[in-house]
Amino acid sequence: MLLRILDRFEEVLISVLMAVAVALIFVAVVHRFSLGAAADLVGYARSHEMTGLQSAARSVFKAINSIKLTWAQEACIYLFVWMAKFGAAYGVRIGIHVGVDILVERLKDPAKRIVTAIAMSGGILFTAILVWIGTDFVYHVRLGGQTSPDLEMPMWIIYLAVPLGSALMCFRFIQALYLYLTTGYIAHHDLSSVDGVEEEAKDVAEGGHG
Amino acid sequence: QDAITIKFSHVVAPDTPKGKGAQKFKELAEQYTEGKVKVEIYPNSQLYKDKEELEALQLGAVQMLAPSLAKFGPLGVQQFELFDLPMLFANREELRKITDGDVGKGLLAKLEDKGIKGLAYWDNGFKIMSANSPVITPDDFLGLKMRIQSSKILEAQMEALGAVPQVMAFSEVYQALQTGVVDGTENPPSNMYTQKMHEVQKHATISRHGYLGYAVIVNKAFWDGLPEDVRANLEKAMAESTVYANGIAAEENDKSLEAMKAAGTTEFHEMTDEERAEWLEVLKPVHEEMSDRIGADLIQQAYQAIGTN
Amino acid sequence: MTALIIFLILTVLLLTGMPVSIALGLTVFSFLFAFTEIPMDSIALKLFTGIEKFEIMAIPFFILAGNFLTHGGVARRMIRFATSMVGHWYGGMGMAAVMACALFAAISGSSPATVMAVGSILIPAMVKQGYPPQFGVGSIATAGGLGILIPPSIVMVMYSVATSGMVVTGPDGQPVLSASIGTLFMAGVVPGLMLASMLGATTYFRAKKHNYPRMARADWRERWLAFRESVWGLMLIVIIMGGIYGGIFTPTEAAAVSAVYAFVIAVWVYKDIKLREVPKVLLSSAAMSAMLLYIITNAVMFAFILTSEQIPQTLSDWIVGLGLGKIGFLLVVNIMLLFIGMVMEPSAIVLIMAPILYPVAVKLGVDPVHFGIMMVVNMEIGLCTPPVGLNLYVGSAISKLGLTEVTKAALPWLATALVFLMLITYVPEITMFLPHLLGMN
Ligand code: NA
Ligand code: NA
Repeated sequence: MLLRILDRFEEVLISVLMAVAVALIFVAVVHRFSLGAAADLVGYARSHEMTGLQSAARSVFKAINSIKLTWAQEACIYLFVWMAKFGAAYGVRIGIHVGVDILVERLKDPAKRIVTAIAMSGGILFTAILVWIGTDFVYHVRLGGQTSPDLEMPMWIIYLAVPLGSALMCFRFIQALYLYLTTGYIAHHDLSSVDGVEEEAKDVAEGGHG
Repeated sequence: QDAITIKFSHVVAPDTPKGKGAQKFKELAEQYTEGKVKVEIYPNSQLYKDKEELEALQLGAVQMLAPSLAKFGPLGVQQFELFDLPMLFANREELRKITDGDVGKGLLAKLEDKGIKGLAYWDNGFKIMSANSPVITPDDFLGLKMRIQSSKILEAQMEALGAVPQVMAFSEVYQALQTGVVDGTENPPSNMYTQKMHEVQKHATISRHGYLGYAVIVNKAFWDGLPEDVRANLEKAMAESTVYANGIAAEENDKSLEAMKAAGTTEFHEMTDEERAEWLEVLKPVHEEMSDRIGADLIQQAYQAIGTN
Repeated sequence: MTALIIFLILTVLLLTGMPVSIALGLTVFSFLFAFTEIPMDSIALKLFTGIEKFEIMAIPFFILAGNFLTHGGVARRMIRFATSMVGHWYGGMGMAAVMACALFAAISGSSPATVMAVGSILIPAMVKQGYPPQFGVGSIATAGGLGILIPPSIVMVMYSVATSGMVVTGPDGQPVLSASIGTLFMAGVVPGLMLASMLGATTYFRAKKHNYPRMARADWRERWLAFRESVWGLMLIVIIMGGIYGGIFTPTEAAAVSAVYAFVIAVWVYKDIKLREVPKVLLSSAAMSAMLLYIITNAVMFAFILTSEQIPQTLSDWIVGLGLGKIGFLLVVNIMLLFIGMVMEPSAIVLIMAPILYPVAVKLGVDPVHFGIMMVVNMEIGLCTPPVGLNLYVGSAISKLGLTEVTKAALPWLATALVFLMLITYVPEITMFLPHLLGMN
């Protein structure tokens, strides 16, 4: 039960971070584009001495310009830093992290089992080290009192993504190792899955357009 | 006995004023301490990038840096944003009254809480405005998208001029100017020239409206742990390299400006006194507006030191 | 010596089959622990700052945009348009397959997805028409590689990210600016079209030789209808390239805008994806992006170790000292990349090898943009070479042919791609023509 909540949380978190980042940058682009257009209109009105239009355009410009989005890029970066750390943990669960498996695929069973277990333990070890040095780092940054330049957010909160994400990832590696040792199952993500190809293929084969 | 090693890391090329200043310091430091100190220079962000180097210094991974003054605000010493205020110094003499005086020393002392010891101020230079349309009077800025580095003061400055500030990494600026994602930017002439921005900017006004500088800093624990005589010799080496570095910076800016004028791709406008007055009128309120961040007292102190108000 | 130790550790770790990102990270830690006095803390820094760059964020955005449009329905529209244009030539469906891959590549930054989308629709249809399955799978597995050469391309973003900020000097000792994402994308267009034409030509001549069936010539009405259907998807590349070149946005912003565009087209225009399926697309895109960003973070750490041990410089001096010259060096690079491409995936190769090879290339007078495209073409070929070649795997899965047979089937097209690689390597004008024409540096 608790585990299912964790799974769900992980999925929702990274999807939402992705969606928010896209929306934010899209809005920032539209914002800049409309500012440019309003300013051009002011310039046009000024050069054609249309005072009415000029002041109207000026107030439109001022209205759009009162929304400040200089922080959008920085926010986008931090959203993606969080997405990357937690997404990497989710990636362990679904087996998206690829390695070079040509040797392992050629091994016979006891050896194969041992090498695969070593590979997974490597993941546990690495992420555990990250939890340790990440926590230490966050602690130091917190003492230093640094803030981000645009949002002026405390940096330690942003950097918390590393120890937290790594802890989750470490847990996922342990889970994967346990699953492998008990059932022999390894999650494997299909990098080339495409929705809707079967239907289209069937239709084309039956003589549809294509 | 092993020599004491100082790793001096910076983010620019060895042949820039800062790079040459670092080299000078290395020579003098090794000479004055008679080889007790060895200085290793890591230019070009070889070890640490712009965003990382302060943390690396605090962690003791490097001993000496020369970051841009704008880096100290996010570190928690917002008073350093004083240097970003537009039209604060009219010229180099006025600047020196701050950097060589009590205000400058007081600011460096504030870094000690952060485990940093400030040794000296090194110039990059005074900034000029460039764009693809003439930027002579404040009215010319209306709606122009101007690239700035992250800074609330610079944001306020561009807004006061009627421009739209855009935060953008230095490495992206050339292409952004070329394609027109942004219309203009501000830079000391030497930066503008080394990044070849004059190729993609039609107009520039030699406004010298703002200052860009660095502080040479060391890890405080490391510095305090040095033998007294070594420290004294290093201070002497630093003082001489500072004069040297600032001399080169001024020279470099003049040369870059001449080179860009000779290239003929940008039309340079020398700001007149009347224009300066106009700019001052719209930019001076930024000082007031930002006094909450920087400290009204500090701004007053600076005015007094310079002799303006 | 140090270089040897580092690469030995990395190779051993990689051979256990652990994720490339983890192997890179553990290499760094074990090297630090055993051989140096660099404090661990200073490495921790790289874990945080490694991906703190707005340019890198183009990767998740492009992946999202591609995923919205990577759908059977979109591939089908591309195929219909391609068939209407070239279906009546020799090897009609094969030609259409190559063209459809090129069109699909303009939407997707991923090669395997291109093979899957075009292949799973066309290969069964081709078999039904009397083509041997080998013909279809050979052409599509290779043409699918266009996904990373024709923009948008994740591998190009990786190259730009891996080399930007490196201060390198040319033969004259003057600093050289690194390749921007925008310029790389622009530079990929002509080579992409050229490779598509060459693969098409190979298809044509093989079909002519074996007298494979041709299709009836489509009339202009059908062509127009097919075009109108596929144009919504193809507008994506117009928005990206036009937007970057026209100064409307930076590459990262272009990627974000194209993701929003792809979402609107997929949900409301093509109606291939229902609104309730959008979270699924977001999730799979986030997972894929996170995986790549994780490799980047650890590759940055790895590059830091290499740099602080002065390995790129030493290697650079050594190679320049060998006196291979530009021609010899590029040949060695190609052989090396093709060899590594046999066993590793493109993103990791670019992130590990670019920081090492790039300074040497520039020193010998190779343009950063040209070198980037050359690397991308190598990666593309690597996707189609055994034993590890994703495009081959996908081809094998679709066609139910064994890996060896798919590899053999792909040989004629692979040989074409190798000829193309030589052209790209030694005729830089092919790459640089468009960027220069547009005045991009
Ligand atoms: Na593509
Ligand atoms: Na391969």
